[in-house]
Amino acid sequence: MEKSRSGSMNFPDVSVVSTDCLKVNDLSFTYRSWCAKKNEPILSHLFCTLEEKSKTLLLAPFNTGKSTFARIISGVCPKYLPGSMEGDIQVCGKDLAYTEPWELLLTCGYVSQNPQEQFVATCVEDEVAFPLESLGLPQKEIAHRVDEALMQWGLEALRTSSNQELSGGERKRVLLAVQQAINPTLWVLDESFDDLDIHWRSQLADLIRKEDNTVLVLASRYLTQFDDLFDRYALLEEGRLHFGEKQEILSSFSRLCDDDLPNPLINQSISLKKEHMLSCASLTTERSRVSTLETNIFTLSVPSFSLKSGELRTLVGPNGSGKSTFSRLLCGLDTPKSGVFSLDERVVGTKELNRNVGYLFQNPDLQIFLPTVREELSWSLKRRKDLKNAQIQEMVNSCAALFSLDLDETPTTMSYPQRKALQAAVYYLLDRPFYILDELDNALTYSTALKIIALLRRNGAGILLITHDRTFGSLVSDQGYAITDGVLGGV
Amino acid sequence: MTTNTFVAGDAFLYHFDPRAKLLSLVLFCSWFFLPISLVGLYGVVFSIILLGSFNTGVHHTWRTFRSILPMLLFMVLFIPFNVRSGESLVTFGTFTFITREGALQAARLGGRFIGITYVCTLLFATTPMTEVMLSLRWYRLPYKASLVVTLAFTYIPFIADSFSQISESHKLREAGEETQKKNIFKRLSELLPTLTSALVVALRSIPNLAMSLEQRGFGRTEKRSMYHTLNAYTHPFTHFMLSIMIPVVLWVLCRT
Repeated sequence: MEKSRSGSMNFPDVSVVSTDCLKVNDLSFTYRSWCAKKNEPILSHLFCTLEEKSKTLLLAPFNTGKSTFARIISGVCPKYLPGSMEGDIQVCGKDLAYTEPWELLLTCGYVSQNPQEQFVATCVEDEVAFPLESLGLPQKEIAHRVDEALMQWGLEALRTSSNQELSGGERKRVLLAVQQAINPTLWVLDESFDDLDIHWRSQLADLIRKEDNTVLVLASRYLTQFDDLFDRYALLEEGRLHFGEKQEILSSFSRLCDDDLPNPLINQSISLKKEHMLSCASLTTERSRVSTLETNIFTLSVPSFSLKSGELRTLVGPNGSGKSTFSRLLCGLDTPKSGVFSLDERVVGTKELNRNVGYLFQNPDLQIFLPTVREELSWSLKRRKDLKNAQIQEMVNSCAALFSLDLDETPTTMSYPQRKALQAAVYYLLDRPFYILDELDNALTYSTALKIIALLRRNGAGILLITHDRTFGSLVSDQGYAITDGVLGGV
Repeated sequence: MTTNTFVAGDAFLYHFDPRAKLLSLVLFCSWFFLPISLVGLYGVVFSIILLGSFNTGVHHTWRTFRSILPMLLFMVLFIPFNVRSGESLVTFGTFTFITREGALQAARLGGRFIGITYVCTLLFATTPMTEVMLSLRWYRLPYKASLVVTLAFTYIPFIADSFSQISESHKLREAGEETQKKNIFKRLSELLPTLTSALVVALRSIPNLAMSLEQRGFGRTEKRSMYHTLNAYTHPFTHFMLSIMIPVVLWVLCRT
């Protein structure tokens, strides 16, 4: 049965009393295709029931419709992400076919895996206040809830900051603060532990444990913070949900994600053409937020840093500690206040750093702009004078096969993990001697992220991985750097 | 589309009532089209730039100027060619390139363009967007219309932001060695894909914003409450008087 959202006012009252918080019956969904090729259904005959106050972990491998499912139950798909949908969904007794997204404000709260796309206000406190204003709450009540949420998520100092000036983890915390201020009955958290550092991951886990709300966490990896947090486990496979015991689901998930395969980085044979070394010493930089009057300007100091060809190093540190700030310096997007970078013991400027250090931003959308995957992959290659068209085509085709990408697909309609894979594929073709991977593992399975690192390292690139996931970090390297109180040091 | 245009500060414009600032904006934008002398026009533009530098800092003032520079150059270079009548200033044989009238018209349009840009920038740099919205509502504009107006004003900075992000990304994706210096035409032609990408990003953000607004309850039937108020501004009458008097006095001083 095809559902329509138009003319919801003409339908009868559908607020049926139900003890289940979420009831999904025979849900199928296929995205509208923008080219001649028809899309396959991403969700197919899916059934799901979540009891009130239950805490469920839904594990899903790379690109299997996890976020689509989250968006459908939060009422914005297919309204804003067109496609054909069949089946019945009831959220707290409300039939979604006849319910607009704003009517679900107190019923279903959704935190997107890409925090950038959910901001509606120009500063942090207004972001938290916006939905409370929509509810028509008195000003005092709004102020109380805003203060409480900001305090809970450590955002008081950032209350007037603009979202563009926040780090990825700080953005995620803002969205969680919004969720906490609204406190809807059903929380749908799509990869919400990603981007957060260990402290805030534990805080989110405590909140889920403590609150009486129904919680559905969608994840593409099993994190240590998930231990003893959930009472139900589910696996999304081939468009359907399978519920089961924890161990059963985890082992099926591990098999599906190829996590049981050997780590491709161990004993990886690399073809090193020339050994390089990137280093810096006594480097300092400052970062200030123009939207906030700051008494103390953040300063990052790097006494010494080096990265050799073929090396794998991790960079860890709390949210907002300056990891991305350092990365921008290292790839030459910004210039330090003092100190210089050296490549093979020769001082290099920003232009040379641009061409030698590939930086995969935390948010792939800031690096993908062209209409098709083919154009995106061939953009840089077309600028090389030493390559002919046929060679470019061959390189693009083999790269797409390696990263499981469809060349005719439109990046904007691809899933977030697929866009991350595309971003990595772009840099794979550039074959830089060094790479900075800013939270590459977010929204990717361990196996996919490790495979990407191995591919980027095939010609002996030195890799600096920024991550909050200790398990993943230990799979990549046991050596690295940490930023503590504005100083970068070895660990 | 939620680009913040506010630059934190504590100078006097930050304490000026935003409703009065909105009135000033309208009056100044009209003022630039009154019959005033060119010297007066540039005197006022220069004063506004000084005021901006004092309130938001020289860096922000320079950034604003840099962002309008390409458009300004385009105006100054091409307008004189369109005005053919009057005393000729630059000739090539019998062909007149630039006339006195053409040069004066370009100077006047350039002055207006800089002036209006800085007046608008000053309002949004010294007033948080929520206060701009509250002021618009004080002028009896409905909430939805106020939201649209404020979003429209953040849209251009948003495109500019996207442009710089995409430029950075393209910079990192440049392949091969840079062999020679690029001339201005090469540079301009290379701007085109970045600009197109920025516009695509800007357009793509519209449904995302609409989706998020609805998820945040925009569209509900309850009367919307407001978290912020304008109660902190305690001298609205004085500020309104200043907002009216300054443009009037300047007009008296600068009229032709």
